[in-house]
Amino acid sequence: MVLKIAFRNTFRQKRRTILTALAMVVGFTLLSLTIGLSDGAYGNIIAMFTRNRIGHIQVHREGYLDKPSLYKTIDNVSAVGETIQSVAGVEAWTPRVYGAGLGSVGEKSTGVQIIGVDVARETEATGFDKKIVEGSTLTETPSHEAVIGKGLAKIVSATVDSEIVIVSQGADGSIANNLYKIVGIAESGDNITDRVACYLHIADAQELFVLEGRAHEIVVIVSNINRVAKVTDAIEANLNDATLDVAPWQVVAKSFYRAMRTDQQGDAMSRWVIILIVAMGVLNTVLMSVLERTREYGVLKAVGTKPGQIFWLVVCEVVIIALVSICIGALLGVLANYLFSIYGITYPQEITYGGMKFKTMYAEVNVRCLVIPAIAVMLSAVIAGLFPAVKAARIMPAKAMRTH
Amino acid sequence: MEQARKTDVIVTEGVTKVYEADGIPVNALNGIDLTIQSREFTALVGPSGSGKTTFLNVISGLDSPTEGKVWLAGQVLSEMSGNELSDFRRDNIGFIFQAYNLIPVLTVEENVEYIMLLAGVPKAERHERVIAMLETVGLTGVADRKPTQLSGGQQQRVAIARAMVSEPAIILADEPTANLDSKTGADLLEMMRHLNAETGMTFIFSTHDPMVMESATRLITLRDGRIDTDETR
Repeated sequence: MVLKIAFRNTFRQKRRTILTALAMVVGFTLLSLTIGLSDGAYGNIIAMFTRNRIGHIQVHREGYLDKPSLYKTIDNVSAVGETIQSVAGVEAWTPRVYGAGLGSVGEKSTGVQIIGVDVARETEATGFDKKIVEGSTLTETPSHEAVIGKGLAKIVSATVDSEIVIVSQGADGSIANNLYKIVGIAESGDNITDRVACYLHIADAQELFVLEGRAHEIVVIVSNINRVAKVTDAIEANLNDATLDVAPWQVVAKSFYRAMRTDQQGDAMSRWVIILIVAMGVLNTVLMSVLERTREYGVLKAVGTKPGQIFWLVVCEVVIIALVSICIGALLGVLANYLFSIYGITYPQEITYGGMKFKTMYAEVNVRCLVIPAIAVMLSAVIAGLFPAVKAARIMPAKAMRTH
Repeated sequence: MEQARKTDVIVTEGVTKVYEADGIPVNALNGIDLTIQSREFTALVGPSGSGKTTFLNVISGLDSPTEGKVWLAGQVLSEMSGNELSDFRRDNIGFIFQAYNLIPVLTVEENVEYIMLLAGVPKAERHERVIAMLETVGLTGVADRKPTQLSGGQQQRVAIARAMVSEPAIILADEPTANLDSKTGADLLEMMRHLNAETGMTFIFSTHDPMVMESATRLITLRDGRIDTDETR
């Protein structure tokens, strides 16, 4: 009967019920949209950051990540790569050789980072060819060609067809130097990298540094980014090699990951503000409703309704409105996120995050967009309803029945 | 008073009630000692502000006395918790209010069965008793209507049905005929008199209505929160 009275009471003051529901629906939709846009934006950033640059998982010689060194190499690259490829969920892998050196074009010299890439694998894994903004990509066979970053090209005033001399030190202690023809200019989306990057064919880099058959890093791309942790564990188990470190992108790019988490916590603050506004709206309307029905609660108590039953009567009313609002809000939230996932929000100016540039922010439709707002709206409604419910339960019948 | 007599339904001892009105204490009841026995048809009369409604509220546990004690069906009200009081009222007291005070979102049948539902009476029995009670109060055929679809007299009949359907020991009626025309008031009064005679329920009215006063078997006059006269007929 309490539920019946609660249900009918929600239809009694239609305007108030609609107002309360509206606060909840708007709150739900806004929360859902902020989560969808935030997840979409960060998903996009993470996808760009991992897919185009560091990969989802990286394999190194033990300790390389903390203290990179020319000598900390993965010695049996092909065998390790094949083991990685056999793990379920792995989409692609690609080895890289890293080294620092001095790059000179004509009269101009600067410090460069040499990145030896397996052209075919790098293209498949990270879309290396798509980073070329001028000229062409490296040929798949070692041909003493180089692709340099756009920033580096500017520093040394290099153009396609210029020649770059690289001087460094080989792993055997010898002086490493060689001449490479610049075939392309690359833009990775990371300005810092683009100011120093000099891409060579992995075999050319191995020759330069005297690292035949060896690599410093194997980048792994997985088919589902949400399964990175599981695939990392599986790769580690399959490799079963204590001299190798297998790390997910969150470990590889610790500072980037931390900065992003901090940003997300900032977003959470705006969600709390929305929840607070919804709660205040609900508190206001439910309190009004309880005050208006003081006399009725007095009568209910007079005829034998227990304070606890009155309390649940008010809470049930709020829950009924919240349930209906959540259903409507879920529809609107999914629709809004779906539309923004297709059309996105275009910024007036390109924004840079983690060295990457973005012009449009897309939303994402996921379970979080429904579950978090649903829990938030229900909890805030119930918590906001507690005070009026306690007030109604504590009403003194004689005093209540004197009110008009 | 340690032990009330078995036939004493209501016993009050030194009941005082002081209200605060704009910070000024107002003595609504001034030490009332009263015993009401079962089957009585008692009318509380007196001018407005004499304490009739306050006294009804105090003896039913709807309000607590500032001082003094109330025994209702042998139990001290001030010693009961909120839940115990609710249960006690549900099982022992039927209320009839001047403004009917029906639950507007419930139908006539639901209003009447509400107290039985709280008491856990099975559905079939509830329905049977509601229909019988509605027939007793002359409201056959309106079980599915909402209170707002009824006249004042009909609403008060529903309130009487609600008060009596669970067969409480005591019926407390606060100016039950005040909002009714004299014919409807007389009909309802006759009906309550009849139910009092048939079921043995104790009726206590607060009233200004001469008709009710004439029907009462005991007439208690209150003045300034005190018993002025107490006449048994």
